[in-house]
Formats: sequence, structure tokens, C-alpha cells
Amino acid sequence: MRFWLLDAIEEVEPDQRLLAVKNVSYSEEYLQDHFPEFPVLPGVFMLEAATQAAAWLLRLTDNYADTVIALKEAKNIKYADFVPPGRQLRVEVTQTKKEPGTASFKVQGTIGEKNSLTGRIELERFSLADRDPELAETDARMRSYFRKWESAILRPGVFAADLAAPATPNPA
Amino acid sequence: MRWFWVDRFTEYVAGSHAVADKGVALSDEFLHDHWLGYPVMPNSLIAEGMAQTAGLLVSELYGFKELVVLAKFTRLSFDGPLLPGQCITYRAEIGHRKEIGAQASVTGVIRKPDGSEHQQALAEIFFARLANDSAPDKGLPAKLFDPDDLCHWLHVTGVFRVGVKADGSRMQPADYGLPVYG
Amino acid sequence: MASQEEIFSKVQEALVEALGVEEDEVTPEAKLQGDLDAESIDFLDIVFRLEKAFDIKIERGELFPEDILTNTEYLQDGKLTAEGLEKLKERMPFANLGEFESNPVVQNLGKQLTVQDMCSFVEHKLK
Repeated sequence: MRFWLLDAIEEVEPDQRLLAVKNVSYSEEYLQDHFPEFPVLPGVFMLEAATQAAAWLLRLTDNYADTVIALKEAKNIKYADFVPPGRQLRVEVTQTKKEPGTASFKVQGTIGEKNSLTGRIELERFSLADRDPELAETDARMRSYFRKWESAILRPGVFAADLAAPATPNPA
Repeated sequence: MRWFWVDRFTEYVAGSHAVADKGVALSDEFLHDHWLGYPVMPNSLIAEGMAQTAGLLVSELYGFKELVVLAKFTRLSFDGPLLPGQCITYRAEIGHRKEIGAQASVTGVIRKPDGSEHQQALAEIFFARLANDSAPDKGLPAKLFDPDDLCHWLHVTGVFRVGVKADGSRMQPADYGLPVYG
Repeated sequence: MASQEEIFSKVQEALVEALGVEEDEVTPEAKLQGDLDAESIDFLDIVFRLEKAFDIKIERGELFPEDILTNTEYLQDGKLTAEGLEKLKERMPFANLGEFESNPVVQNLGKQLTVQDMCSFVEHKLK
């Protein structure tokens, strides 16, 4: 399967918050195992959806400066409700701290009016060239891939690149 | 994608702890989106591996008969990537337990080719036992697994091959009312 | 016998770990639900940590007497009756129920519980 845990990015406030949605459907194979008698979106996929939402906020805000954005810490990730097929999880991330190499967020997932996920996450972020200059070419390939991905999930008019912080120059 | 995030248990002591391995391969489709050019195992799926290792231990506390679900990651932390070709070993220990659920701590350790070890992941997890809670008004099912499906999972991951009870005797499917074939 | 400072610092540590909040957010006045986003699942986690930190046993309903709050005998229009209030005070001698008494809407009780109440609870348990 693809590892695209968000179907659409609906709202973006650079450097502040992002709102995206994930629809759950029976065509997702893993639901036959999770669980055979009770198909629901796995909790860690709510967490992954929130991680991806936060990563997109960073990518859009910083014009893809960091190519690797990964979950580093999570605290008090709570699951209050299940997300069965046919329902839509709305994922909202709010940036609370941004430092060189990391960024922190409050995350919330809702179905309708009800909370299904709450917690705090910290992501680490870097480009491969930061660690090994020879990998600058891989960064460039990754950026080109992310831009294609962006065009699939970012609705037109939701985010104007000129609202974002000035782009970090790409060494390539 | 199937939902088996533990390949094989190597140790399983009911009511106490379990150790399980998970190998990562570039044939796993999702690695090509995560990410193109730099495939690494998503940390959320490492979290799931830790939750499954601990979850099977916690479910056993209630005879594999109840609704036991992941309720909370009190803490998760990750240090560095898990790459295709590497294997991570999860070790879960049951902590506090109460009428309505139980806590577990899990680590994930990668063994490097030079023999050194690196603790890549750490989790503190709380599992809720829903049957004792206000389950009916939440639209919950009577069970998560059909006994055949559950038994299959426990067999393919080696729980019945290595699993022992506190007194050292082997765990048997029949002890839990699970199907015995042949 | 632990001093109040020791109790506060251990309670603070338990809350920081269980709720993922920052240390400076856990002030004595902070409301567990309102300010620190604690939910029922967290109370369990907090109870585990308090038991370990202070080497005590906390039974279900001891910190938060759910049984009284859901007992229809003591309820009227979502509020606790005078009799219910008496029972509650017996069970929660550690809590400052002043604000709650003036308008005993059951749903508000959890929201008003503070970090200080939790410290008093531990102090009461250690006696």
C-alpha cells in the first residue's frame, strides 16, 4: 500500500497549524487483521496521520528545506474513540515550539464533534546533505517527489507559497 | 498491507514479559513512500510492533477472551532510523495492572553487524479492558477476533512454540478455549 | 513522613510523566482536567505513578468517588443532594469542596479538582 495517511490538506497557517483529513475505507487491506471482528483505523495510524500533518506544515512553511521529518517523541497519545470504515478522521496539528533540528506540536484527531486522538509530538528534521554532502542529490529527488505528493493532497487555494517564510536556499 | 508487525516471538512468559523480532525488507511497499530515496521503517509502525508485543501479553492476562485495546501511549521515543535489512527486537514487560487495564513498558533494540546494540525505540503503553467499562453504549463488538483468527495469529508468531506460564509449563491453545486442529 | 514540598514534587513528577505536560504547567492551583487535559484514562496512569512514588495502595473510587456521583439515590437534576454531599465530604476529606458545594453539579466536580487537592489526597493517605 501507499503510505499516504492524509487524503486532503484543508487548512494551512504557515508556522502555526494545519488541518487535514483521512477517510477510512474497507479497501484498506489491513482492516481485515485490525480487527477481524471489528475493523477500525489502527491507533498508530492516527498517530502517523498526525505526524504526516505536522511534517506537511513544516515542508510547506519552509519550502521543503528538510527532507527527513520523523517522529522523535510522543507524549500522552490518547485514544478516545474508534474510527470505522465510512468515517472521516480530521487531524489538526498546532505548532508549539520550533528549534533547529526539531519541532513540537499539539495534535488532535476528531470524528464529527468527538475526539478520537489527543497528544503531543516532537519531530526531528534535517536534510540528508546536512549529514553527508554527497547526499544532496538524494535530497533533490526527495523534494521533487514531495512536490508531486503535495499536488495530489493540497487543495487549490488552501496554501499560497508566498505566505510562507523565505525559502531556505537549496544547495543544488 | 497486512497488520502483522511482529514476525516471531523468541520468548514469552505469561504474566511477565515477551521478546519478539521484526525484520524490515525493501519489498515492504510502504517503505518506498517513506521515503523515496531514503527508505526507513516508519516510527509509528515500530510503535505498533511494540504495542503488539505488549498487547499479546496483556490479552493473555484475561485469557485472550476480552476486549483489550490500546488506550494510551504515555510515552514514545525514537533514536535514529531502522533500515531495510535490519532487524529490531522488542522486549515488553507488564507493569501495573488494575481491574480496568494494564500498563506495559517496551524497548526496541537493533543489533548492528559489528555486534553492538542500539536501543532505537522506547514505549510506555496503557491498555484498556473495555468489557468491564461502559462498552455496550459505544457500539463495541463482543470480541475483536474470531477464535480461529486469534489462534492463527498466536501460532504464526510462535507464541505457542515458546510460550510458558509462570510455573514454567507450556501454554496450550486448549487452556484458553482456542481451537485445536487435527 | 514526607514534607509537603516532597509530596508536591513527587505529584508534579507523576503528572508530568502521565500527562506529558511541562513542569511549569503543574502549579498547585492548576485544574487537572481544565488546565492539564487529564481524562479518566490518565487518572489510572496517575494512580499507578502515585502508588509507586509513595508506596501506597489506591483503590478504585478512592481518589474520585464515582460510585457516589453515579448513585441515583444522591442525585437530583444532575446535582448532588445534601445527603450525597455529606457522603462525598466523608470520602474526600482531602479535597477543598467549597466551590463545588455552592453549585453541586456532578459533572463539575472533576473539572474543579486541582493539583493541590491531589497533594492533599496523598498527604491524607500517608497519615
